[in-house]
Amino acid sequence: MELSNLEVIPGRRVLRHLGLVQGSTVRSKHAGRDIMAGLKNIVGGELKGYTELLIEAREEAIARMVAQAQSVGANAVINVRFSTSNITSGAAEVMAYGTAVFAE
Amino acid sequence: MSYENPQVRHEVNVSRESVLVEFLRLAIGVALAVLAAAAVLYVGGGALARFIPYSVEQGWVGDRVLAPVEAGPNAADAAAVEPYLQRLAGDLARHMDLPEGMHPVVHWSDAAAPNAFATLGGHVVVTRGLYTRMPSENALALVLAHELAHLRKRDPISAVGGSATLALALVLLGGDADQLVPHVAQAVQLGYSRRAERRADAAAVDAVIAEYGHAGGAASVFEVLTDYAEASQGAAPTLLSTHPSDEERIARLQRAALDWDPVRQPLRPLRVRVTSAEGRRSSLDRPRLKP
Amino acid sequence: MEVLIQLAFIGLLLLVGLVFGRMAEKRHYRDIERREAELADLLVFNERTPPADRPIREATLVVGSVVIGEDYFKRMAAALKGLVGGRLTAYESLMDRGRREAILRMKEAARARGARSVFNVRFETASLSEAHVGARPMFSAEFIAYGTALID
Repeated sequence: MELSNLEVIPGRRVLRHLGLVQGSTVRSKHAGRDIMAGLKNIVGGELKGYTELLIEAREEAIARMVAQAQSVGANAVINVRFSTSNITSGAAEVMAYGTAVFAE
Repeated sequence: MSYENPQVRHEVNVSRESVLVEFLRLAIGVALAVLAAAAVLYVGGGALARFIPYSVEQGWVGDRVLAPVEAGPNAADAAAVEPYLQRLAGDLARHMDLPEGMHPVVHWSDAAAPNAFATLGGHVVVTRGLYTRMPSENALALVLAHELAHLRKRDPISAVGGSATLALALVLLGGDADQLVPHVAQAVQLGYSRRAERRADAAAVDAVIAEYGHAGGAASVFEVLTDYAEASQGAAPTLLSTHPSDEERIARLQRAALDWDPVRQPLRPLRVRVTSAEGRRSSLDRPRLKP
Repeated sequence: MEVLIQLAFIGLLLLVGLVFGRMAEKRHYRDIERREAELADLLVFNERTPPADRPIREATLVVGSVVIGEDYFKRMAAALKGLVGGRLTAYESLMDRGRREAILRMKEAARARGARSVFNVRFETASLSEAHVGARPMFSAEFIAYGTALID
């Protein structure tokens, strides 16, 4: 399954536009990561624990979007976009959405 | 080039796993983890409590530990006897090698049953019932020395042990341990282990011999208590509950006093008199001299 | 004793949240599926370029938005999951409903204008509970779906 955030797939003609597909996941951090991040906040910089958490979440969101695309018979998703939103209880939702297409 | 919207599978975005099942699993898991941690703290605390510095114990406890102990309506008696008790305890403490910073305070309780105990924060309590039944200062000294020996070995906080460590953990986590103190103090009064009691007995005898030169009159403490126990028919005070048997203790004290000469080493009377709850004068009038 | 009463109270809230929350959710899903079936012929894409061959009379922005809040059971589940971390299944259905509802409302707005397709559909999700001050406010999120409806 090819993913692209372009309007087109370079070199391939789109035969069927199959509509909107979305994948989303909600991930929560655990207490240990929280404490480490709290400590890191004293010095600042990248919070590696959270970065990894959100990377995992994003990969799962993409996987779900791909699953939706497969269910409508697509072989590529174009115009992929991400959206992350915060859920107060220390969790975040990551959503990936795009248009499923069948390209030649 | 066609434009269409076939039906997508929306279920990919909602996990099939039951939310309720997962919730219950987590709730039970967390509850078990908390209980396990509390158990570990309690058991470990029992072993490690005596390493909590004495200054911390004092600061944490303050005077609240005396809440279950009442001086009673006879404040005048308390004012008369407490300085005497304090001085006697101080004299004995000089022979007992108390740790740095430990200055026990002796208190008077108006309770009619004979009892004496050492509790957290370096406090020792002697009841009216005990004081008025002591036949000599030597007997009283044995009691005080016994309680001081408990303090020296940090027996109060060990007995409280696990509860103390758990309370400390709660305080560290930001909780409020103030309500625990009276309960914890009462736990102390339930008694120390037999080993601790035997150790305190031995140390008390040594202190009494160091102070007076002999161990005469000390055994009478237990004779008094045994009499009281028989007279009150089973309603024995806490003093007797986990202690080694009285016969054993009497026998040991009598052995310690084998070389005592009652004529050349007379027993000292109690310096301060007090009226007992039943109206008896302090038993100066009925000296009990046993070989 | 007070601890028991507090626990019982929380248990009651949990039960109410679980039972009525699930009922409300099921009802909402049925409603969503019915309307999705009705509006299935109105096409949505998130591509920017509309089809070149079809003439377009009018193009207008259409927005669908909804705010959905959690129930007590979801909140407790999230709190517990926050200790161990991982996928928070309790909220997945909430977010899914919100998004699909927003898309439906956008479609309804487009249908009201007589459109047959909506292009350049985008989403925004904003969590609103930050506005509250105090211990653990209830979570609620606003879902927006917007795009350009093509009327021909």
